[in-house]
Formats: sequence, C-alpha cells, structure tokens
Amino acid sequence: MLKMTNIKKVFRTEVVETHALRDFSLHVKEGDFVAVTGPSGSGKTTFLNVAGLLETFDEGDYLLDGQSVKGMSDNQLARMRNEKIGFIFQSFNLLPDLNLFDNVDVPLRYRGFNAKERKERIVQALETVGLGSRMKHLPAQLSGGQQQRVAIARALAGEPRFLLADEPTGNLDSAMAQSVLELLEDINKAGTTIIMVTHDPILAKRAGRNVFVRDGQVTEVTKEAELDELVQKTAQVGG
Amino acid sequence: MSELGPIFRALLRNKVGALLLALQIAVTMTIMVNAIHMIENRSSLMARPSGLDEANQFYLSSTGYAQDFNEQLVVEEDLRLIRQLPGIVDATQINAIPLSGGGWSMGLSVEPGAEARGSGIAVYFVDDNGMNTLDVELIAGRNFSASEIGYRGRNATEWPQNIIITEAAAKELFPDLSVSEAVGKTVYINNDEPMTIIGIMDQLQAPWVGWSAVERVMLVPQRTLFGSSRYFIRTEPGQRDAMIKATEKLLLDRDVGRLIRNVRTMEETRDDSYRGHQALQTILWVIVTVLTIITALGIVGMVTFSVNRRRKQIGTRRALGATRWQIIRHFLVENALVTSCGLILGVGSSIALNIWLVDVFSLPRVGWHYLPIAMAVLLVVGQLAVLGPARRAAAISPALATRSA
Repeated sequence: MLKMTNIKKVFRTEVVETHALRDFSLHVKEGDFVAVTGPSGSGKTTFLNVAGLLETFDEGDYLLDGQSVKGMSDNQLARMRNEKIGFIFQSFNLLPDLNLFDNVDVPLRYRGFNAKERKERIVQALETVGLGSRMKHLPAQLSGGQQQRVAIARALAGEPRFLLADEPTGNLDSAMAQSVLELLEDINKAGTTIIMVTHDPILAKRAGRNVFVRDGQVTEVTKEAELDELVQKTAQVGG
Repeated sequence: MSELGPIFRALLRNKVGALLLALQIAVTMTIMVNAIHMIENRSSLMARPSGLDEANQFYLSSTGYAQDFNEQLVVEEDLRLIRQLPGIVDATQINAIPLSGGGWSMGLSVEPGAEARGSGIAVYFVDDNGMNTLDVELIAGRNFSASEIGYRGRNATEWPQNIIITEAAAKELFPDLSVSEAVGKTVYINNDEPMTIIGIMDQLQAPWVGWSAVERVMLVPQRTLFGSSRYFIRTEPGQRDAMIKATEKLLLDRDVGRLIRNVRTMEETRDDSYRGHQALQTILWVIVTVLTIITALGIVGMVTFSVNRRRKQIGTRRALGATRWQIIRHFLVENALVTSCGLILGVGSSIALNIWLVDVFSLPRVGWHYLPIAMAVLLVVGQLAVLGPARRAAAISPALATRSA
C-alpha cells in the first residue's frame, strides 16, 4: 500500500542544511491504522507531507499503491493525491465561504465526477459523519468537532486508498477528540487504511500500530511500554 | 468542472470587494462605449467627402493697395494667366473657402414672403470655371455660361437669376421631387427675390464643418469686387507645391500694386478645421486607455489581495488534488463572474449615459454593436489581468495545507 525506502529529505537555505528525513523507511499495509508519534521537529510533518505527495523527496524510493511516485509531474502528483489519499488536517482546513455540501464537493469536482455521482457521494459521506442534515451550513456555524467531521467526510467522499490525518484531534477538547477518534476507528474497521500523525501517546496507543520518529528516522514500537519510554526520554532530552 | 456554482455562492458571501470591482468595470464600460462612440462619430465627420480634390488644390488672396488698382481687370487677367500655367487644371475667384470656417450663408425658400420657411444654405460666388476648379460633378441641369457671370460690389443686395445647388440642398428644398425635377424650379432669397435652379451638383461642403447643414451649398455666378480677392486653384496631380511657387511668382511679377497673402493648401485648411476634433479624439483615447489600465490594475490588485488572503485555502485545494491549471481556472472563473456582473451593469449605464448625451448635446445614438465589443474587450482585459496573480496562486505549495496559519 505505502512503502518508503531510505527516504531522504533535506531543506536547504543559503547558510544551513536541515535533514528532515534520513534513511526513513516505512511499510504500511492495507487496513493498517498507524500512529506516527515523535517530538516537535522530529520530522513527523515532513513525513506526512512526503507520504501525502505534498512535498517531493531528495533520495530513496516511495511506492504508493504499488506505483513509484519518484519523478512524477506536478499534475500526476495532484491526480494521485486526489484519487488515492484523503487528508484530515489539524485545523480542519475547510473553505470558510463554502457550505458543507460544497466543501465536500471540492475534491470530487477536481476528480471530474458528474453532478449526480458527486451528490450521492457527498450525501453519503456527510451522513456517515452524522452531519447529513446540515449540508447548507457554513463551517463557522459548526463546533470544532463537527468541522473535523466535515473534513473527514471530505476525505472519505472520494473513497481514497488511505487517510492521512495530521493531529486530527489537536484542536479539539477531549470529548470531541474522543468522538473523532471513534469515527476514525470505525472508518478503519470498515477497511480504510489510516496513517495518523500525533504527538499524543494516549491517542497513539489507540492505533493498531505505532511508529516513533526522531531526528528524521523511524523506530517501530511493538509494545505500549516502549512508546511511553520513548516519549519520556524525548521529554527529558527536550526538558 | 468549472466550479461555477460554488464560486458564485462564495462570491455572494463576500460581496463588497466584488461589487466595488463590478462597479469599476461598469463605469469603465460606460465611459469606453460612449467615448469610442464619440471618437467614431468624429471620425465619420472627418471622413465626410468635401466634394473637392483637396490634395491638388490651394488658394491665395490678392489685395490691392495702389490708387489705380482696378480689381475687375486684375482679377480677369490674373485668372487668365494662372489658367495658362502648365500644371494648372483650372482657377476661379471665390468669396469663401470650403471647410475654412468663414463664409456666407443665406436662407432659401420655395415660397415668396417673409413667412415662408427658409432653409439655410452656404453661398460661394464663382465664375463658369468654378465647378471644374472645385472638382464638383454636375448630376442634373447645366453649368453657368461665361455670359452669365456678373460682378458683385461690396454693397450689392441684388442676386442673379440662376444658381446651382448641391443634391443635399435640392432634397431639403424639394423633398418630394427627384434631383432632376428640381432643375428649373424657382426658389426665393431675401424673402421675395426669385432665383432659378439651373443645375444640381453632387457634393460640396460649406465653410463650417460643425454646421448641421454643411452639405447644403449654392453656387452663384458672380465675381466679387470687395478689394481683396481669393483665387481658388486646382493643379494636375502632384503639381500642387510647384504650382504654388509658380503662381505666386506669376502674380508678384505682375506689378499691379497688390499684396499676395494667405497662400494655403486645402489639406492645411482641412487639418485646421478638424484640429479640435482630432484633439478631442486623442483626449478620449487617452481617457479610455488610462481607464482600462486602471481597471486592469484594480483587478490585479483585488486578485493579488485575494490570493494572499487565501494562501492556506489554495494550499488545501492543491492538497485535495487541484492541478495548477484548476487553481488558475478558479480565479479566471471568479473574475469572469465579477466582470460579467460589471458588464451587465455597464450595458444599462452606457445606454443611460448615451440617452443623456443625446438629449443634452444632440449626439447620435450609440450603435448597439458597441456594447458586445466593449464587453468582449473588458472581459479579455479582465482575464489577462487575472493571469499573473492566478499563476502565482497556482505556484503555492500543497504543503502549505499542513502548516499552521
């Protein structure tokens, strides 16, 4: 499904080089629910951007759904993002001037679906997240949790191969975070692969699989205790 | 998928900026349509044929100062000698120059009496060589004969029996008759002095280019003895400038106690007469061009502001799968919608301004074809103005979607 091998990503300015990812290798299988944790500046977001084809990488190989993305044109990458990946952002990233229906419609229009099919998908996606009755509302008229549900509906409507979630509960209170997490778990149980970037170890433990990113490299975490230990060590170093 | 519906609905939620831009476009279109209409109107006025062979005609004044200056003899001999010059087609004495801004006009009526409705008409006193010198064509009746040419003193009030008028004058005086039927008809000058129309010429303009009756002209078979004579001269093609020198030399060599002044070509006279029109055209073109540029810059500014304000939204759209072209198209469609609203408003305001100009300044009505042309021009200008900021929007990285605001 997603296979990264020895990915290297360097940010360069005139005076400094930052190695955001170094020999980063990760294999995510169909149906996985992977939580990616790590301290600030560890390379989590860079991994997410590279995995979501939002940024290119300098070295290594990246196979998405069996297809190498290396050397793809900007248009090809856009099409891959549109067809295979659903994004869930920390700050929801809903378009404020569009109602819920039109927000969910955005990626479907880029996909080129006809109006009938789009409508069916939008209605179904919004009903899945429990907002079927609020299609004409604007994002500003919803709570944070509801806005994140709309973002999930937008990500689901195109039936992507996997969801990439960037701190999906980072801007939500605990009750809303719980509700969104349960929704993601339901979606995963229904067969959708999810990769969730989070700094919250409690949230990460709910995922079926955990990986820890530090200094641009990845460590597979097999036991819950290991995750706690890694988080604590990182906190001590940082503190 | 053009996203027309969502873009339109989003615009309705952010009306102020779009409305202001639409109003600017409407004002630009209103001024553009009416200004270009005025420019074209002036162009068509300037393009009206005068009836003359302007490229090959010139004129000059001969003013006697000597005690023994005999104007009648001098004029007859001058014209005889000028006509003999190789390169000269013909010459005549004339009281006023077409298009020059100064001349005579009278009222002609088809009935005698002070109550009869008169039609204004410009008057040129010429001899039997007048029509050939002016290069006007006789379309009915006959030219003057040499024996019909008389002399008119400074204080003369009586008018000769026969006249030749333009086709436009004939249609004004006898709207129900054909041109040839107007030949032989009697018209009245000074209320009750009868004159007979012996010929109709195709076209000749009055001295006043802004006069609504500029095409109404009559030729009167008289030479004037006013102390100063104007000679109107037509040359062979390409000979004008040489003939000006030759004619001046010829006349100056005749030692008869007079001055030769005001030597001018008809092309110079036309340029002088229409200088105001040309200046107005230039000013209007500048206004239209500047206004169009300001509108384009307004669109660039608004779209640039919009792009800067929506960078994260654009990044999100890119992350959701929009190609660069789809981002560019988004802004093109958005601008086309705003511009279209402005253009629809502009159609109404253009017509309203034109109605006002027609009422107040008696300008002709604007042709309907100006409206779609102006709409197309402004739509294209608007789309070109959007291209730059839209391309910058399309270059926004999709990774911006994951960065905090």
